[in-house]
Amino acid sequence: MAERIYIFKRFERFWHWSQALLIIFMMLTGFEVHGVYNIFGFKAATELHTIAAWTLVSLWVFAIFWHFTTGEWKQYIPTLEKVDAMLKFYLTGIFTDAPHPFKQTTVSKHNPLQRLAYLFVLAIINPLIWTTGWFYLFYGSWENWGFGWLSLEWVAFFHVIAAFMMLIFFIAHIYLATAGHTVTAHIKAMITGWEEVED
Amino acid sequence: MLKFKYKGSLLALTFVLSIGMIWPVHANDAKAPEKAVVSGAVDVFGIAVDEQKKKSTADHSKFKELQVDFKDGPAVTKACISCHTEASKQLHKTKHWNWDYINADTKQHLGKKNVINNFCTSVPSNYKFCTACHIGYGWEDENFDFTAEEKVDCLVCHDTTGNYKKLPGLAGHPNYKTMEWPPHSGKFRAPTDLKQVAQAVGKTSRATCGACHFRGGGGDAVKHGDLDSSLTTPDRYLDVHMDAKGLDFSCSKCHTSDSHEVAGSRYQPTAVDDKGTLIRGSKEERNAATCVACHGNVPHFGEFAKMNEHTDKIACQTCHIPAYARGNKQTKMSWDWSTLGKMDDQGHAMKIKGSDGSVIYDSKKGDFTFDHYVVPEYQWFNGEVEFTLADTKIDPTKVVKINSFKGSYDDGKSRIWPTKVFRGKQMFDKGNNTLVVTSLSDDPETALWKNFDINKAVEYGMKYAGRDFSGEVGWVETEMSWPITHMVAPKEDVVECHQCHTENGRLAGIEGIYIPGTNTTPLLDKLGFIVAFLTLIGVLIHGAIRYFMHKRGG
Amino acid sequence: MLKAVVGFITGIVFIGIVGWNMADVMMLREVESPYGVEETAARIQRNMQSLSANGWTLSGLRNPAKAVANSGMNVPPVLLVEGCSTKYSGPILKNDATRILSILMPCTITVYKKDNGKTYIGLMNAGLMGKMFGVGDIMAQVAKDQEIFITFDPKKPAPPLIKTSPGGGGGAGGKASDGC
Repeated sequence: MAERIYIFKRFERFWHWSQALLIIFMMLTGFEVHGVYNIFGFKAATELHTIAAWTLVSLWVFAIFWHFTTGEWKQYIPTLEKVDAMLKFYLTGIFTDAPHPFKQTTVSKHNPLQRLAYLFVLAIINPLIWTTGWFYLFYGSWENWGFGWLSLEWVAFFHVIAAFMMLIFFIAHIYLATAGHTVTAHIKAMITGWEEVED
Repeated sequence: MLKFKYKGSLLALTFVLSIGMIWPVHANDAKAPEKAVVSGAVDVFGIAVDEQKKKSTADHSKFKELQVDFKDGPAVTKACISCHTEASKQLHKTKHWNWDYINADTKQHLGKKNVINNFCTSVPSNYKFCTACHIGYGWEDENFDFTAEEKVDCLVCHDTTGNYKKLPGLAGHPNYKTMEWPPHSGKFRAPTDLKQVAQAVGKTSRATCGACHFRGGGGDAVKHGDLDSSLTTPDRYLDVHMDAKGLDFSCSKCHTSDSHEVAGSRYQPTAVDDKGTLIRGSKEERNAATCVACHGNVPHFGEFAKMNEHTDKIACQTCHIPAYARGNKQTKMSWDWSTLGKMDDQGHAMKIKGSDGSVIYDSKKGDFTFDHYVVPEYQWFNGEVEFTLADTKIDPTKVVKINSFKGSYDDGKSRIWPTKVFRGKQMFDKGNNTLVVTSLSDDPETALWKNFDINKAVEYGMKYAGRDFSGEVGWVETEMSWPITHMVAPKEDVVECHQCHTENGRLAGIEGIYIPGTNTTPLLDKLGFIVAFLTLIGVLIHGAIRYFMHKRGG
Repeated sequence: MLKAVVGFITGIVFIGIVGWNMADVMMLREVESPYGVEETAARIQRNMQSLSANGWTLSGLRNPAKAVANSGMNVPPVLLVEGCSTKYSGPILKNDATRILSILMPCTITVYKKDNGKTYIGLMNAGLMGKMFGVGDIMAQVAKDQEIFITFDPKKPAPPLIKTSPGGGGGAGGKASDGC
């Protein structure tokens, strides 16, 4: 018998989906600024990328506020407990419809692998992409900030590395979103907020 | 690498039809009548004479000193300096007068009479011809008196009639007698009406400065590329400041002068100006003829604010002058002296014209190429120019740089500048490995353009200049750079972002600068996309196994 | 059944996308020229004149860049070389069904400069256009002639650019800009 629990609050869902759109859009425009293809034109791509960046910044201001006021930030505390079980599940169990080794609850909604993945995003990709992006955006102020020694080439290089990591995360993330007990279960939960969990 | 092609392609019929619909817009443009210049009393220069007179507090035609039939130019000057007592003394101190200049930074001895270029190459032994563009009268040899006040030519700069012309061969004088001009053309120029010209003197104009500066290198548009007679009455598209129907700047609006000393220099250009606007009354000793001197350090705002973050590496001109020689005049791009002397079937000197009517071969001078609407070549430039002088040893196996623009990405004082690079092949002293002075025009016995004997011409030129000559003439390839700074396009016609921010864009090959969008990290990109692709394959395989296992399991 | 429909639609969409992207490539051709804009145009004119046996006459030379400059904007040089052969235009104009194709007349070859400083020649794909509009035979001939127009002999000196049409254009036209 499945039980329905309310996992994702309204703001959280809004945050997730608007962030998803922004990140997809920023990958699209960002790789154009990098010169990989030509869709919007360099000028438009740059401007759109910048607008999206500022939108994301504002979104994050709210998200950070929300995470701290609600205490939800604790969801991202990493744990190694059951990681091996999770790995084993994705490598074998998932194929034979074995039971999921992790039970979602409202206080613990991310499985241990998820927590590690998000830690990677939060601790590696985001700092890299945000700081390099910030510097990129304020190229004209380096001198005033005491960062005159920085080189745009390296800032851009790490920004692009982070972008690639984001792209890879994005692919894996979308796939794993289908790895619930049904293909669409996680996606539905992210839309409605309600997840069905097995007893 | 992913490469998407995105073009605004149209289906054939739409395309054809739209061409048909656009057609009437361009109909007849080939024979569109020349637009009338500014209304009112207009002289040949396109300057409203009446208006200028109205503004001046002196009507020179009312001065008794000028109501005289002058016999020659110096006579006019004597009249001028009888009131403007210090004028000639001021001019005696200028480069315009001395053609002699010492660069205080490099200690190089420069100036027109000293340098050798890759156009007509050198002045000594050719004074009568070259000094048609000297602001004096009678400089025909080394013995010219540089202290003579009456020898300063006031009219060439202050004429407003357009009837005053100094002709090559007359050592800086206009013609005082009827004279065939151009030579062998069958056309005759009446004697210059000095009285009329003298009575109409006024401020300098694009036309007076242009009389020499548009014709550098011996003809309209030849030398600079960004200066030619199309700037006499330019439209807005050609130069947004000089636009005759708009801002209508004269040269002196930027090239301000103090005691006849004019701001701006090609020997010591200001490649970087980050000192902000030059305010009236400022005691700063700096070039007033820079963009920044008026526009300041932070000239872009609103949606163009990002452009301010380009000025640490890029000169204003690089974006704001998308191409030079845009005024439909052909500028000379190369000059190969080594082919001179070919005669036609009758054994006469000849000129061969190219498709657009410019002379592409001249028995006196060799082969030329021309171009217009030319995209500049870009170089790092910090304002320091080093010349290959008459006594500089050259390496004839390499292209000799007549002048090298110094600067680099890491010297902290350079900007990327647009330049015209003029390429030539010219005579040099094979024994001594130096450039040479060549007798071209004046001396009847040796002048190249009369005798077509390069050895005799160089021998005489070198002797005249007091230089050692081995007796052997060779041909060496040369390059000369000219900064492009005029013909500033309207803002909607600036170089667009994608023209540099693309693979093989305009600044491709410029060292030491990272330009986003130029595909400069191919290895990283390849690696990144491979890993992303493998991830995709990985999850797809994982998904496929799930699907089939699930199906089999029921 | 569903599969067939989906397949059919996918095929249509695919061909549509390819066609959309290929349309310009198929209908128009771009060739790099070793000469400058003026010389290229002049050489094309000279080649056109050399095919007077096929009825070709110059019917005009247009400079749309000049019109743009007159309205205050900068565009790189473009010259439109226009030629006409009554031998080919006659039969097309004679027939009510194809008379509308006069919209393609006179035969235009464009010569222009790009940002890389190089000169290019733009041509209409006369053969394909002909097939599309049912005058394939005539336009195949035009295509052949066009090929000769853009084949240059570097040994020959640069001919002068002819700015107006000598002796009136072909067809009904008299003045330079009238064309066929």
